Amino acid sequence: MRYLLLFLVAFQSHAQISDFDHINFSKSDQIALMHKNEELDNMPELVYNLTSELDTDVERFRAIYMWVCHNIANDYTLYLKNKRKRNKYKNDSIKLKAWNDRFKKDVFRKLLKQEKTICTGYAYIVQQLANLANLDCEIVHGYGKTSMTNIESLDPPNHSWNAIKLDGKWYLCDPTWASGIPEPETNIFRFDYNDGYFLSNPKLFIINHFPQDQKWILLENETHSFDEFLAAPILYGKAYTNLVEHDTPKQMHHLLHKDEKISFKYQLQKTINVESVSFLIDDGYSNKRTKPNSISIDEQSLTLEHQFDTNGFYDVHLYIGDDLISTYTFKVKG
Amino acid sequence: MKTLTIKKITQLLGIMMITALFSNPIYAQNKDVASSTVTSQDITIKGKVMDENGPLPGVNIVLKGSKTGAVTDVNGEFTFPKSLSSGDVLIFSFLGYDKQEIKIDGKTTYINLLMSNDIIEIMGAPSTDKPYKSKRSN
Repeated sequence: MRYLLLFLVAFQSHAQISDFDHINFSKSDQIALMHKNEELDNMPELVYNLTSELDTDVERFRAIYMWVCHNIANDYTLYLKNKRKRNKYKNDSIKLKAWNDRFKKDVFRKLLKQEKTICTGYAYIVQQLANLANLDCEIVHGYGKTSMTNIESLDPPNHSWNAIKLDGKWYLCDPTWASGIPEPETNIFRFDYNDGYFLSNPKLFIINHFPQDQKWILLENETHSFDEFLAAPILYGKAYTNLVEHDTPKQMHHLLHKDEKISFKYQLQKTINVESVSFLIDDGYSNKRTKPNSISIDEQSLTLEHQFDTNGFYDVHLYIGDDLISTYTFKVKG
Repeated sequence: MKTLTIKKITQLLGIMMITALFSNPIYAQNKDVASSTVTSQDITIKGKVMDENGPLPGVNIVLKGSKTGAVTDVNGEFTFPKSLSSGDVLIFSFLGYDKQEIKIDGKTTYINLLMSNDIIEIMGAPSTDKPYKSKRSN
Protein backbone atom coordinates (compact mmCIF):
# COMPACT_ATOMS: atom_id res chain seq x y z
CA MET A 1 0.00 0.00 0.00
CA ARG A 2 2.79 2.36 0.96
CA TYR A 3 4.52 1.67 -2.35
CA LEU A 4 1.29 2.18 -4.23
CA LEU A 5 0.93 5.58 -2.58
CA LEU A 6 4.54 6.40 -3.39
CA PHE A 7 3.89 5.37 -6.96
CA LEU A 8 0.82 7.57 -7.17
CA VAL A 9 2.68 10.56 -5.79
CA ALA A 10 5.56 9.99 -8.20
CA PHE A 11 3.15 9.60 -11.08
CA GLN A 12 1.42 12.88 -10.42
CA SER A 13 4.50 15.07 -10.23
CA HIS A 14 5.80 16.50 -13.49
CA ALA A 15 9.11 15.42 -14.96
CA GLN A 16 11.71 17.44 -13.09
CA ILE A 17 15.01 17.28 -11.23
CA SER A 18 13.42 15.78 -8.08
CA ASP A 19 12.96 12.53 -10.05
CA PHE A 20 16.73 12.13 -9.67
CA ASP A 21 17.07 12.95 -5.99
CA HIS A 22 18.84 9.62 -5.52
CA ILE A 23 21.59 10.61 -7.97
CA ASN A 24 24.63 12.51 -6.84
CA PHE A 25 25.86 14.73 -9.67
CA SER A 26 29.21 15.58 -8.11
CA LYS A 27 31.08 13.06 -10.29
CA SER A 28 29.50 14.47 -13.48
CA ASP A 29 30.27 18.03 -12.37
CA GLN A 30 33.87 17.12 -11.56
CA ILE A 31 34.38 15.51 -14.96
CA ALA A 32 32.93 18.59 -16.69
CA LEU A 33 35.31 20.77 -14.69
CA MET A 34 38.29 18.54 -15.47
CA HIS A 35 37.73 19.06 -19.19
CA LYS A 36 37.29 22.81 -18.97
CA ASN A 37 39.07 24.65 -21.79
CA GLU A 38 38.92 21.63 -24.06
CA GLU A 39 37.97 22.62 -27.57
CA LEU A 40 35.04 21.84 -29.79
CA ASP A 41 37.12 20.66 -32.74
CA ASN A 42 36.75 17.00 -31.84
CA MET A 43 33.28 16.52 -30.43
CA PRO A 44 33.19 12.69 -30.35
CA GLU A 45 36.37 12.75 -28.27
CA LEU A 46 35.03 15.48 -25.98
CA VAL A 47 31.81 13.50 -25.48
CA TYR A 48 33.78 10.34 -24.80
CA ASN A 49 35.90 12.17 -22.22
CA LEU A 50 32.82 13.63 -20.57
CA THR A 51 30.66 10.52 -20.44
CA SER A 52 32.68 7.30 -20.56
CA GLU A 53 33.11 7.00 -16.79
CA LEU A 54 29.47 7.66 -15.93
CA ASP A 55 26.86 4.95 -15.41
CA THR A 56 23.47 6.57 -16.00
CA ASP A 57 22.01 8.68 -18.82
CA VAL A 58 21.13 11.50 -16.46
CA GLU A 59 24.74 11.69 -15.21
CA ARG A 60 26.06 11.60 -18.78
CA PHE A 61 23.70 14.39 -19.80
CA ARG A 62 24.60 16.36 -16.69
CA ALA A 63 28.32 16.27 -17.58
CA ILE A 64 27.61 17.50 -21.13
CA TYR A 65 25.24 20.23 -19.94
CA MET A 66 27.66 21.43 -17.25
CA TRP A 67 30.51 21.53 -19.75
CA VAL A 68 28.46 23.67 -22.15
CA CYS A 69 27.21 26.01 -19.40
CA HIS A 70 30.74 26.59 -18.10
CA ASN A 71 32.62 26.86 -21.40
CA ILE A 72 30.37 28.59 -23.91
CA ALA A 73 30.01 32.34 -23.49
CA ASN A 74 26.94 34.28 -24.52
CA ASP A 75 27.74 36.91 -27.12
CA TYR A 76 25.54 39.89 -26.40
CA THR A 77 26.63 42.02 -29.37
CA LEU A 78 25.80 39.12 -31.67
CA TYR A 79 22.41 38.92 -29.99
CA LEU A 80 21.67 42.62 -30.46
CA LYS A 81 22.71 42.54 -34.11
CA ASN A 82 20.45 39.57 -34.76
CA LYS A 83 17.54 41.08 -32.87
CA ARG A 84 17.73 44.27 -34.94
CA LYS A 85 17.76 42.37 -38.22
CA ARG A 86 15.03 39.95 -37.22
CA ASN A 87 12.75 42.82 -36.31
CA LYS A 88 13.55 44.64 -39.53
CA TYR A 89 12.76 41.62 -41.70
CA LYS A 90 9.95 40.12 -39.65
CA ASN A 91 7.36 40.75 -42.39
CA ASP A 92 9.65 39.76 -45.25
CA SER A 93 10.23 36.02 -45.08
CA ILE A 94 12.69 35.95 -48.01
CA LYS A 95 14.95 38.59 -46.51
CA LEU A 96 14.61 36.99 -43.08
CA LYS A 97 15.72 33.66 -44.49
CA ALA A 98 18.65 35.22 -46.32
CA TRP A 99 19.74 37.02 -43.16
CA ASN A 100 19.30 33.86 -41.13
CA ASP A 101 21.45 31.82 -43.55
CA ARG A 102 24.23 34.38 -43.46
CA PHE A 103 24.05 34.85 -39.72
CA LYS A 104 23.97 31.12 -39.02
CA LYS A 105 27.40 30.61 -40.60
CA ASP A 106 28.72 33.42 -38.44
CA VAL A 107 27.25 31.91 -35.29
CA PHE A 108 28.60 28.42 -35.82
CA ARG A 109 32.02 29.70 -36.85
CA LYS A 110 32.20 31.74 -33.64
CA LEU A 111 30.93 28.80 -31.62
CA LEU A 112 33.61 26.44 -32.90
CA LYS A 113 36.51 28.89 -32.90
CA GLN A 114 35.81 31.16 -29.94
CA GLU A 115 33.27 29.11 -27.99
CA LYS A 116 30.92 32.08 -28.02
CA THR A 117 27.32 31.97 -29.12
CA ILE A 118 23.71 33.04 -28.60
CA CYS A 119 20.99 30.76 -27.36
CA THR A 120 20.28 28.73 -30.50
CA GLY A 121 23.99 27.95 -30.34
CA TYR A 122 23.73 26.68 -26.76
CA ALA A 123 20.72 24.55 -27.61
CA TYR A 124 22.50 23.23 -30.71
CA ILE A 125 25.70 22.31 -28.99
CA VAL A 126 23.86 20.59 -26.12
CA GLN A 127 21.81 18.61 -28.65
CA GLN A 128 24.82 17.72 -30.77
CA LEU A 129 26.93 16.55 -27.84
CA ALA A 130 24.01 14.66 -26.26
CA ASN A 131 23.27 12.91 -29.57
CA LEU A 132 26.91 11.88 -29.82
CA ALA A 133 26.43 10.20 -26.41
CA ASN A 134 23.37 8.33 -27.79
CA LEU A 135 20.95 10.52 -25.81
CA ASP A 136 17.63 11.67 -27.24
CA CYS A 137 17.75 15.47 -27.11
CA GLU A 138 15.66 18.08 -28.96
CA ILE A 139 15.88 21.81 -29.55
CA VAL A 140 12.78 23.75 -28.56
CA HIS A 141 12.22 27.15 -30.19
CA GLY A 142 9.88 29.67 -28.66
CA TYR A 143 9.48 32.77 -26.56
CA GLY A 144 11.56 33.57 -23.53
CA LYS A 145 10.36 36.32 -21.24
CA THR A 146 12.70 38.46 -19.13
CA SER A 147 12.44 41.93 -17.62
CA MET A 148 14.10 43.25 -20.78
CA THR A 149 11.99 41.61 -23.48
CA ASN A 150 9.29 43.82 -24.81
CA ILE A 151 6.48 41.46 -24.07
CA GLU A 152 3.65 43.68 -25.21
CA SER A 153 5.03 44.19 -28.70
CA LEU A 154 5.01 40.46 -29.55
CA ASP A 155 8.52 40.15 -30.88
CA PRO A 156 9.15 37.21 -33.21
CA PRO A 157 10.35 34.07 -31.36
CA ASN A 158 13.45 35.03 -29.45
CA HIS A 159 14.72 32.02 -27.54
CA SER A 160 15.68 28.32 -27.78
CA TRP A 161 16.15 25.68 -25.14
CA ASN A 162 16.35 21.86 -24.88
CA ALA A 163 14.19 18.87 -24.09
CA ILE A 164 16.03 15.71 -23.04
CA LYS A 165 14.60 12.19 -22.75
CA LEU A 166 15.79 10.34 -19.65
CA ASP A 167 14.41 6.98 -18.52
CA GLY A 168 11.60 7.36 -21.05
CA LYS A 169 10.45 10.79 -19.87
CA TRP A 170 11.03 14.23 -21.38
CA TYR A 171 12.62 16.97 -19.28
CA LEU A 172 13.31 20.67 -19.88
CA CYS A 173 16.49 22.67 -19.49
CA ASP A 174 17.75 26.08 -20.55
CA PRO A 175 21.54 26.11 -21.01
CA THR A 176 21.57 29.73 -22.27
CA TRP A 177 20.02 31.18 -19.17
CA ALA A 178 21.89 28.76 -16.91
CA SER A 179 25.34 29.81 -18.11
CA GLY A 180 25.31 33.42 -16.94
CA ILE A 181 24.20 36.95 -17.70
CA PRO A 182 25.58 39.98 -19.52
CA GLU A 183 26.69 42.69 -17.10
CA PRO A 184 23.91 45.30 -17.31
CA GLU A 185 26.31 48.24 -17.72
CA THR A 186 28.93 46.84 -20.05
CA ASN A 187 26.97 44.06 -21.81
CA ILE A 188 30.00 41.84 -21.27
CA PHE A 189 29.01 38.25 -20.53
CA ARG A 190 29.80 36.92 -17.09
CA PHE A 191 29.69 33.17 -16.31
CA ASP A 192 27.36 32.70 -13.36
CA TYR A 193 25.94 29.19 -13.41
CA ASN A 194 22.31 28.81 -12.26
CA ASP A 195 21.44 25.20 -11.42
CA GLY A 196 17.71 25.93 -11.42
CA TYR A 197 17.46 25.60 -15.21
CA PHE A 198 18.56 21.94 -15.19
CA LEU A 199 15.52 19.61 -15.51
CA SER A 200 13.28 22.44 -14.30
CA ASN A 201 9.69 22.04 -13.16
CA PRO A 202 7.55 22.55 -16.30
CA LYS A 203 5.04 24.50 -14.16
CA LEU A 204 7.65 27.14 -13.42
CA PHE A 205 9.18 26.94 -16.90
CA ILE A 206 5.91 27.80 -18.71
CA ILE A 207 5.77 31.16 -16.92
CA ASN A 208 8.74 32.47 -18.93
CA HIS A 209 9.21 29.87 -21.72
CA PHE A 210 6.46 29.45 -24.31
CA PRO A 211 7.35 26.90 -27.04
CA GLN A 212 6.23 27.31 -30.66
CA ASP A 213 5.30 23.64 -30.66
CA GLN A 214 3.06 23.27 -27.64
CA LYS A 215 3.87 19.62 -27.05
CA TRP A 216 7.03 20.89 -25.34
CA ILE A 217 5.05 22.54 -22.54
CA LEU A 218 5.16 19.01 -21.05
CA LEU A 219 2.14 19.58 -18.81
CA GLU A 220 -0.38 16.92 -19.66
CA ASN A 221 -4.03 17.61 -18.97
CA GLU A 222 -3.35 21.33 -18.68
CA THR A 223 -3.95 24.02 -21.27
CA HIS A 224 -1.72 27.05 -21.49
CA SER A 225 -2.41 29.85 -23.93
CA PHE A 226 0.03 32.35 -25.36
CA ASP A 227 -2.12 35.16 -23.90
CA GLU A 228 -1.71 33.71 -20.41
CA PHE A 229 2.03 33.60 -21.01
CA LEU A 230 2.08 37.25 -22.11
CA ALA A 231 0.05 38.28 -19.06
CA ALA A 232 2.14 36.28 -16.56
CA PRO A 233 4.45 37.93 -13.99
CA ILE A 234 8.17 38.28 -14.69
CA LEU A 235 10.32 35.61 -13.11
CA TYR A 236 14.07 36.00 -12.61
CA GLY A 237 16.79 33.36 -12.59
CA LYS A 238 16.72 33.09 -8.81
CA ALA A 239 13.05 32.01 -8.93
CA TYR A 240 14.43 28.73 -10.28
CA THR A 241 16.71 28.20 -7.30
CA ASN A 242 14.11 29.14 -4.67
CA LEU A 243 10.71 28.05 -5.98
CA VAL A 244 9.10 24.78 -6.96
CA GLU A 245 5.97 26.57 -8.16
CA HIS A 246 4.64 30.09 -8.57
CA ASP A 247 0.91 29.69 -7.86
CA THR A 248 -0.57 33.22 -7.69
CA PRO A 249 -0.93 35.90 -8.88
CA LYS A 250 -1.17 34.60 -12.43
CA GLN A 251 -0.92 38.11 -13.87
CA MET A 252 1.79 40.73 -14.02
CA HIS A 253 -0.47 43.82 -14.06
CA HIS A 254 -3.19 44.53 -11.49
CA LEU A 255 -5.78 47.19 -10.88
CA LEU A 256 -6.67 47.50 -7.18
CA HIS A 257 -8.84 49.62 -4.96
CA LYS A 258 -7.18 51.29 -2.02
CA ASP A 259 -7.09 48.87 0.91
CA GLU A 260 -7.98 45.93 -1.33
CA LYS A 261 -6.01 42.85 -0.35
CA ILE A 262 -3.90 40.96 -2.85
CA SER A 263 -2.46 37.55 -2.02
CA PHE A 264 0.62 35.77 -3.34
CA LYS A 265 1.26 32.04 -3.11
CA TYR A 266 4.42 30.05 -3.82
CA GLN A 267 5.80 26.55 -3.25
CA LEU A 268 9.37 26.71 -1.96
CA GLN A 269 12.27 24.34 -2.58
CA LYS A 270 13.25 24.50 1.08
CA THR A 271 11.82 26.08 4.20
CA ILE A 272 12.91 29.67 4.69
CA ASN A 273 12.91 32.22 7.46
CA VAL A 274 9.97 34.71 7.48
CA GLU A 275 12.54 37.46 7.95
CA SER A 276 14.09 36.78 4.56
CA VAL A 277 10.95 37.72 2.60
CA SER A 278 10.65 41.33 1.43
CA PHE A 279 9.20 43.59 -1.25
CA LEU A 280 11.07 46.32 -3.06
CA ILE A 281 8.38 48.79 -4.12
CA ASP A 282 9.02 51.40 -6.79
CA ASP A 283 6.37 54.14 -6.90
CA GLY A 284 8.02 56.02 -9.77
CA TYR A 285 9.95 58.35 -7.47
CA SER A 286 11.83 56.08 -5.12
CA ASN A 287 12.46 52.46 -4.20
CA LYS A 288 11.34 51.35 -0.74
CA ARG A 289 12.20 48.04 0.89
CA THR A 290 9.14 46.89 2.86
CA LYS A 291 7.55 43.77 4.31
CA PRO A 292 4.32 42.37 2.95
CA ASN A 293 1.45 42.96 5.44
CA SER A 294 1.36 39.28 6.25
CA ILE A 295 3.80 36.45 5.62
CA SER A 296 2.97 32.86 6.45
CA ILE A 297 5.11 29.83 5.82
CA ASP A 298 3.54 26.41 6.18
CA GLU A 299 6.25 23.81 5.57
CA GLN A 300 7.26 24.65 2.00
CA SER A 301 4.26 26.76 1.12
CA LEU A 302 4.69 30.56 1.26
CA THR A 303 1.65 32.86 1.37
CA LEU A 304 1.85 36.66 1.38
CA GLU A 305 -0.85 39.30 1.69
CA HIS A 306 -0.51 42.96 0.96
CA GLN A 307 -2.57 46.12 0.57
CA PHE A 308 -1.64 49.61 -0.53
CA ASP A 309 -2.89 52.52 1.57
CA THR A 310 -2.19 55.28 -0.94
CA ASN A 311 -3.13 55.67 -4.57
CA GLY A 312 -0.38 55.25 -7.08
CA PHE A 313 1.35 53.03 -9.60
CA TYR A 314 3.73 50.52 -8.07
CA ASP A 315 6.31 48.07 -9.42
CA VAL A 316 6.56 45.37 -6.77
CA HIS A 317 9.64 43.14 -6.70
CA LEU A 318 9.65 40.06 -4.47
CA TYR A 319 12.93 39.15 -2.78
CA ILE A 320 13.92 36.11 -0.73
CA GLY A 321 17.08 37.20 1.02
CA ASP A 322 19.11 38.94 -1.71
CA ASP A 323 17.52 36.87 -4.45
CA LEU A 324 15.20 38.73 -6.81
CA ILE A 325 12.31 36.34 -7.53
CA SER A 326 9.51 38.08 -9.44
CA THR A 327 7.88 41.39 -10.42
CA TYR A 328 4.23 42.58 -10.51
CA THR A 329 2.67 46.01 -11.08
CA PHE A 330 -0.27 47.52 -9.20
CA LYS A 331 -2.35 50.52 -10.13
CA VAL A 332 -4.12 51.59 -6.95
CA LYS A 333 -7.15 53.87 -7.10
CA GLY A 334 -9.30 55.12 -4.27
CA MET B 1 9.85 -52.54 -18.18
CA LYS B 2 6.95 -50.81 -19.84
CA THR B 3 6.67 -48.21 -17.08
CA LEU B 4 10.38 -47.64 -17.35
CA THR B 5 10.08 -46.86 -21.07
CA ILE B 6 7.28 -44.41 -20.35
CA LYS B 7 9.49 -42.86 -17.69
CA LYS B 8 12.32 -42.61 -20.18
CA ILE B 9 10.03 -41.09 -22.79
CA THR B 10 8.78 -38.58 -20.25
CA GLN B 11 12.37 -37.73 -19.34
CA LEU B 12 13.31 -37.35 -22.96
CA LEU B 13 10.25 -35.21 -23.61
CA GLY B 14 11.15 -33.13 -20.58
CA ILE B 15 14.68 -32.60 -21.83
CA MET B 16 13.32 -31.72 -25.25
CA MET B 17 10.93 -29.22 -23.79
CA ILE B 18 13.63 -27.62 -21.70
CA THR B 19 15.88 -27.53 -24.75
CA ALA B 20 13.04 -25.93 -26.69
CA LEU B 21 12.70 -23.33 -23.98
CA PHE B 22 16.32 -22.34 -24.23
CA SER B 23 16.76 -22.81 -27.91
CA ASN B 24 15.48 -19.39 -28.87
CA PRO B 25 18.15 -17.23 -27.33
CA ILE B 26 20.79 -19.74 -28.37
CA TYR B 27 19.53 -19.61 -31.90
CA ALA B 28 19.64 -15.82 -31.85
CA GLN B 29 23.23 -15.90 -30.66
CA ASN B 30 24.22 -18.42 -33.30
CA LYS B 31 22.55 -16.34 -35.96
CA ASP B 32 24.44 -13.27 -34.85
CA VAL B 33 27.74 -15.08 -34.97
CA ALA B 34 26.87 -16.65 -38.29
CA SER B 35 25.88 -13.39 -39.95
CA SER B 36 28.91 -11.56 -38.64
CA THR B 37 31.28 -14.28 -39.78
CA VAL B 38 29.70 -14.34 -43.20
CA THR B 39 29.62 -10.60 -43.73
CA SER B 40 32.34 -9.32 -41.42
CA GLN B 41 35.10 -8.27 -43.70
CA ASP B 42 36.85 -5.94 -41.30
CA ILE B 43 36.43 -3.06 -43.68
CA THR B 44 38.51 0.04 -43.14
CA ILE B 45 36.40 3.00 -44.11
CA LYS B 46 37.87 6.20 -45.48
CA GLY B 47 36.11 9.13 -47.02
CA LYS B 48 35.65 12.79 -47.71
CA VAL B 49 32.87 15.16 -46.59
CA MET B 50 31.93 18.27 -48.56
CA ASP B 51 29.23 20.89 -48.68
CA GLU B 52 28.31 23.05 -51.68
CA ASN B 53 31.36 25.23 -51.03
CA GLY B 54 34.00 22.51 -50.74
CA PRO B 55 35.58 20.23 -48.12
CA LEU B 56 34.15 20.35 -44.59
CA PRO B 57 36.67 20.02 -41.77
CA GLY B 58 35.51 19.15 -38.24
CA VAL B 59 32.58 16.90 -39.18
CA ASN B 60 31.80 14.36 -36.44
CA ILE B 61 31.55 10.73 -37.50
CA VAL B 62 30.31 8.16 -35.00
CA LEU B 63 29.55 4.45 -35.29
CA LYS B 64 25.85 4.17 -34.41
CA GLY B 65 25.26 2.62 -31.01
CA SER B 66 28.86 3.10 -29.91
CA LYS B 67 31.10 5.90 -28.77
CA THR B 68 33.78 5.25 -31.38
CA GLY B 69 34.20 8.22 -33.63
CA ALA B 70 36.35 10.31 -35.91
CA VAL B 71 36.53 13.88 -37.14
CA THR B 72 37.29 15.08 -40.68
CA ASP B 73 40.62 16.88 -41.16
CA VAL B 74 41.27 20.21 -42.91
CA ASN B 75 40.70 18.55 -46.29
CA GLY B 76 37.38 17.10 -45.16
CA GLU B 77 38.95 13.62 -45.13
CA PHE B 78 38.81 10.90 -42.50
CA THR B 79 39.83 7.32 -41.77
CA PHE B 80 37.51 5.59 -39.33
CA PRO B 81 39.68 4.24 -36.45
CA LYS B 82 37.82 0.93 -36.11
CA SER B 83 37.31 -1.79 -38.73
CA LEU B 84 33.64 -2.03 -39.65
CA SER B 85 31.34 -4.76 -40.94
CA SER B 86 28.54 -4.46 -43.44
CA GLY B 87 25.36 -3.38 -41.72
CA ASP B 88 27.20 -0.96 -39.43
CA VAL B 89 25.90 2.60 -39.62
CA LEU B 90 28.04 5.72 -39.49
CA ILE B 91 26.42 8.97 -38.35
CA PHE B 92 27.81 12.19 -39.82
CA SER B 93 26.95 15.39 -37.98
CA PHE B 94 28.12 18.97 -38.04
CA LEU B 95 26.70 22.08 -36.43
CA GLY B 96 24.23 23.71 -38.78
CA TYR B 97 23.98 20.74 -41.15
CA ASP B 98 21.46 17.93 -41.50
CA LYS B 99 22.59 14.78 -39.74
CA GLN B 100 23.18 11.86 -42.14
CA GLU B 101 23.38 8.12 -41.59
CA ILE B 102 25.39 5.94 -43.95
CA LYS B 103 25.02 2.17 -43.89
CA ILE B 104 28.16 0.19 -44.63
CA ASP B 105 27.30 -2.27 -47.43
CA GLY B 106 30.48 -4.34 -47.67
CA LYS B 107 31.33 -3.09 -51.16
CA THR B 108 32.24 0.51 -50.48
CA THR B 109 35.37 1.41 -48.59
CA TYR B 110 35.47 5.09 -49.58
CA ILE B 111 32.55 7.38 -48.70
CA ASN B 112 32.02 10.62 -50.59
CA LEU B 113 29.42 12.59 -48.69
CA LEU B 114 27.74 15.87 -49.51
CA MET B 115 26.17 17.51 -46.47
CA SER B 116 23.43 20.07 -46.80
CA ASN B 117 22.45 22.97 -44.59
CA ASP B 118 19.91 22.42 -41.89
CA ILE B 119 17.16 25.01 -41.68
CA ILE B 120 17.80 26.71 -38.38
CA GLU B 121 16.30 29.72 -36.81
CA ILE B 122 18.98 31.69 -35.05
CA MET B 123 17.63 33.50 -32.05
CA GLY B 124 18.79 34.51 -28.63
CA ALA B 125 17.45 36.27 -25.58
CA PRO B 126 20.00 36.49 -22.79
CA SER B 127 18.94 36.17 -19.19
CA THR B 128 19.02 39.25 -17.02
CA ASP B 129 18.86 40.22 -13.37
CA LYS B 130 17.84 43.78 -14.12
CA PRO B 131 14.59 44.49 -12.25
CA TYR B 132 11.65 45.33 -14.48
CA LYS B 133 10.80 49.03 -14.66
CA SER B 134 7.39 50.30 -15.79
CA LYS B 135 7.31 52.99 -18.42
CA ARG B 136 5.66 55.97 -16.76
CA SER B 137 4.29 59.14 -18.21
CA ASN B 138 4.94 61.17 -15.01
